[in-house]
Amino acid sequence: MIRLENVALRYGRGPEILRDVNFHLKPGSLHFLTGPSGAGKTSLLRLLFMSTQPTRGLIHLFGQNVTRITPSRRADLRRRIGIVFQDFRLLDHLTTWENVALPLRVTGKKPGDYQEDVTDLLQWVGLGERMYALSPVLSGGEKQRAAIARAVIGKPELLLADEPTGNVDPQMARRLLRLFIELNRLGTSVIIATHDHQLMQQFQAPRLELHDGRIHQVGG
Amino acid sequence: MTYDPNVPANGKELYSPARPKEKKWSNQPTPIVQAKSVTGSSLVVVISIMCFLACLTAGAVYLINQSAAAWTDDIASEVTVQIGVDRNGNMDDKLSKVAFFLTNQSGISGVRPLPEEESAVLLEPWLGKSADLKELPVPRLIAVELDRNNPPELEKLRESLKTNFPNTTLDDHRRWQSQIQTVTRSMALGGLAVLILVGFATTGIIVSATRSAMSSNRDIVEVLHFVGATDRFIAREFERHFLALGIRSGLVGAGGAAAIFIFMPFFMRLLGGSNMTSAEIRRLLGTAALDWPGFILLGIVVIVIAALCMLTTRYGVYRILNSQHH
Repeated sequence: MIRLENVALRYGRGPEILRDVNFHLKPGSLHFLTGPSGAGKTSLLRLLFMSTQPTRGLIHLFGQNVTRITPSRRADLRRRIGIVFQDFRLLDHLTTWENVALPLRVTGKKPGDYQEDVTDLLQWVGLGERMYALSPVLSGGEKQRAAIARAVIGKPELLLADEPTGNVDPQMARRLLRLFIELNRLGTSVIIATHDHQLMQQFQAPRLELHDGRIHQVGG
Repeated sequence: MTYDPNVPANGKELYSPARPKEKKWSNQPTPIVQAKSVTGSSLVVVISIMCFLACLTAGAVYLINQSAAAWTDDIASEVTVQIGVDRNGNMDDKLSKVAFFLTNQSGISGVRPLPEEESAVLLEPWLGKSADLKELPVPRLIAVELDRNNPPELEKLRESLKTNFPNTTLDDHRRWQSQIQTVTRSMALGGLAVLILVGFATTGIIVSATRSAMSSNRDIVEVLHFVGATDRFIAREFERHFLALGIRSGLVGAGGAAAIFIFMPFFMRLLGGSNMTSAEIRRLLGTAALDWPGFILLGIVVIVIAALCMLTTRYGVYRILNSQHH
């Protein structure tokens, strides 16, 4: 599913954020990605999401080397990946419903084909009453749930989540995490970047720990 | 300021839980790229002006070509016999004899000796109305209409006229035909050059507008990429707005140009042109009004401008996205 070989990353002429990163994640796995602030968790997720290129090394996703990939192939692979951004990245002029439906809309599907799926998912994440609200009027927690719903609506094979429970109360955090675990049971590989040790203790899963730009696998 | 979900903000409903669910699909989904962030009103004005200029040029070239075709057609079916001045002889008598001679020749369908008054009208632009033509040695003219199905051999006719009536000449207007063709060809080329310039200017404006639209929608493009949109999908989101802009501006520009062609004689009078001016325009451009193929030509200009806007945007978006990928 995911294989990184001697991956390093630096931005411009700055120091290396990641160095000699090697790991291999099997399909259907669930991992927490953890480490102190600035350790490079978001950068690693960006590499896995192909929004940045490694300075050196190889990244294989779904059996393909993605360090050299055409834009159309990248778009195809991204449709198999769901991502939750720390800053949500919702489009302000679209309603919650339209934001969540966006991954299906870009595939060219007709709204009628996914109307019920989107509505049901929004009900499930507790946004049934906020379906037609524009994102600027949503609270931080509501935005986070909308961002998660957008990431999972396409039933991705790989889910990358950057601090997905950072803006919600503990009860909602547990509920969202149960959603990730449910997706994982259905076959989706999940990587959750988080600081939340309490959460990691509640759901025992192998960890990828980042320290000084290097990765260590704990558990699993 | 507190947020009240029941109060629309800036005229737009931010939150409308009462919106009936079943009505949602009767409406178009919100455009991912908003029109107002892509095509401002100033861009509409500029493209309208470009389309207006293109339509005006295309229409004028079309009118001139039509009139030139009519002129050359008329000229080709008519020749003029000119009887030189003979101060000692009776010009009217000679005119009748030549006309009679011509009537009996084969391949001629009509002979019309021009009375002195008509010759005077022809000379008016040079000599004015006051000149007394009787005092001047003015040659007399006979308009000879040729039978198009069985035209005479003009060289033979010319020789026969010279033999029977010295001091007469036959003018088949060939020189004029070639001059008219040269003038109309030059005007068509000039018009084409103007159209090409307008095309280049429009392309340049759209390229710049696309760049600025992409820049102001950078976040949206990024999110679209993240959710798996292809470059084709993103380009389509932009080009639909530019196509609408092209059609809207094109119709405004073509409408303006059509109005100019329809009301041209009226404008000329408003601007102080005399009847002579409108007569001159009629002489130059026929009726100076477009016929239906002319209006179809304006429609084609609108289609070309709209297609130019759309394709330029597509190409521009691809270029920008490609530069971002590498």
